[in-house]
Amino acid sequence: MSRRKDDAPSVATYADHEVITPPHELRKAVAQAADSDDDPVARAEAALSQLSGEFGEWMNAECERLEQARQDVKREGFTPKNHDALFRAAHDIKGEAATFGYPAVAGIADSLCRLVEHTPEIDQIPVTLVEQHVDAIRAIVREYARADLADVAHVLTGRLREVTDDFLRAENDFRPDYLENIFAPPLAP
Amino acid sequence: MVRIDFNRLRFLVIDDNAHMRRILRTLLHGYGTREVYEAEDGAAGLEAFTHYVPDIVLVDWMMPIFDGLELTQMIRQQGANANPYVPIIMLTGHSEKKRVMMARDAGVTEFLAKPISAKALYERIFNVVANPRPFIKTKTYFGPDRRRNVNPNYVGPERRKGGKADVIRQQPLLEKAKVLS
Repeated sequence: MSRRKDDAPSVATYADHEVITPPHELRKAVAQAADSDDDPVARAEAALSQLSGEFGEWMNAECERLEQARQDVKREGFTPKNHDALFRAAHDIKGEAATFGYPAVAGIADSLCRLVEHTPEIDQIPVTLVEQHVDAIRAIVREYARADLADVAHVLTGRLREVTDDFLRAENDFRPDYLENIFAPPLAP
Repeated sequence: MVRIDFNRLRFLVIDDNAHMRRILRTLLHGYGTREVYEAEDGAAGLEAFTHYVPDIVLVDWMMPIFDGLELTQMIRQQGANANPYVPIIMLTGHSEKKRVMMARDAGVTEFLAKPISAKALYERIFNVVANPRPFIKTKTYFGPDRRRNVNPNYVGPERRKGGKADVIRQQPLLEKAKVLS
C-alpha cells in the first residue's frame, strides 16, 4: 500500500531544535457525533464480554507457560534464556490477569517480575522464592471460585511482596540510585 | 461533540502474545475499526508497518528480536520509512517511572499500562487523532513534543519564545570567503 501525498510538514527553527507540525492526516477520522447514543467504548466492552468465555482457558495456558519456565529454571538453573522466559511469562500474567478476570494474581506476578528483573546477579535469584510465587499464582487461579479467595490472595501477595522487597533491598544496597528507582511509585497512567 | 470515525483508521497491533493481540483486535473492531493488521515481533512489526502504512501503531514493549522501544526508534528515523510521524501507543505491563521516561524519550506518543480497558485505550486513540502534538527535532531526539502541559512554576530559559529571533544564523560560506579574500 502506498501513502498518499500530503502537504509537507511546517517547520519552526529555534536555536537548538526544530518544532515540526506534520499534516494532520488523521483529521479524516474526526467527525461530529450525529447519534449521541453511540458509545464506542460500550460496544468494545460488549465485544470483549463476548470473548470472555475463552479467558479461563487463556489464563490456564499462561499459567502452564509460567510452570514450564519454572521447571526449566529448576532443571538448568538461571541461564539467560530461562531468566528471560520466566520474566516474560510473569510479565504477561501481570498485564493480562485483570483483563482475563483474575485480578488477584496480578500483584504476585508483579512481585515475581521485580524479583527476577532487579536481582543484580541472575544466579543469585532465590529459586525457592520463585517457586513460592509460581505456586501461589497457580493456586489462586485454580481456586478462583472460593468465597475467601480475595482475602487469601491479599495475604499471600502482601507476604511475598514483603519478602521480595527485603531481598531486593539487601541485594541492591551497593547501588542506592537503582534501589531508589525500583521503589519509586509507578508513574504510568 | 467530536467523535472518532474508526472506520477510517487503519491499525497495526504488534505484540508477541497472541491473547493480547486478540483482545486488542476485539476492542478495535468493537470501536468500529475494520482494518486491523497484526505482527508478533518487532521485526515482523517493522515489515508490516512498511507494507500496510497504518494510521496508528499499538506496540508492546517486551518482544523478541527487537522490542517495542527499538521499533519505535526505528520508525522515528526520518527518511527511513513512509511515516515517521505515525502515532505510536505503547501498551505494556511496565509502569515504573524510569520505563515511562524511556518510552517517552524513544518517541512514543501515548503510554498505556496494562491491564488495558476499553475506555483507557479509547482515550489514548482519541488523543492522538483529535489532539495531535507537534514533533520536536534536536540533536538527540525526534518525536512528539514531550511538553504536554504549561507549567506555571517553570523556572529557566524559554527556548521556544521569540520564534525566528532565537535562530542561530550561520554565516554563509560565500560571505566567509569574501571576508578572507
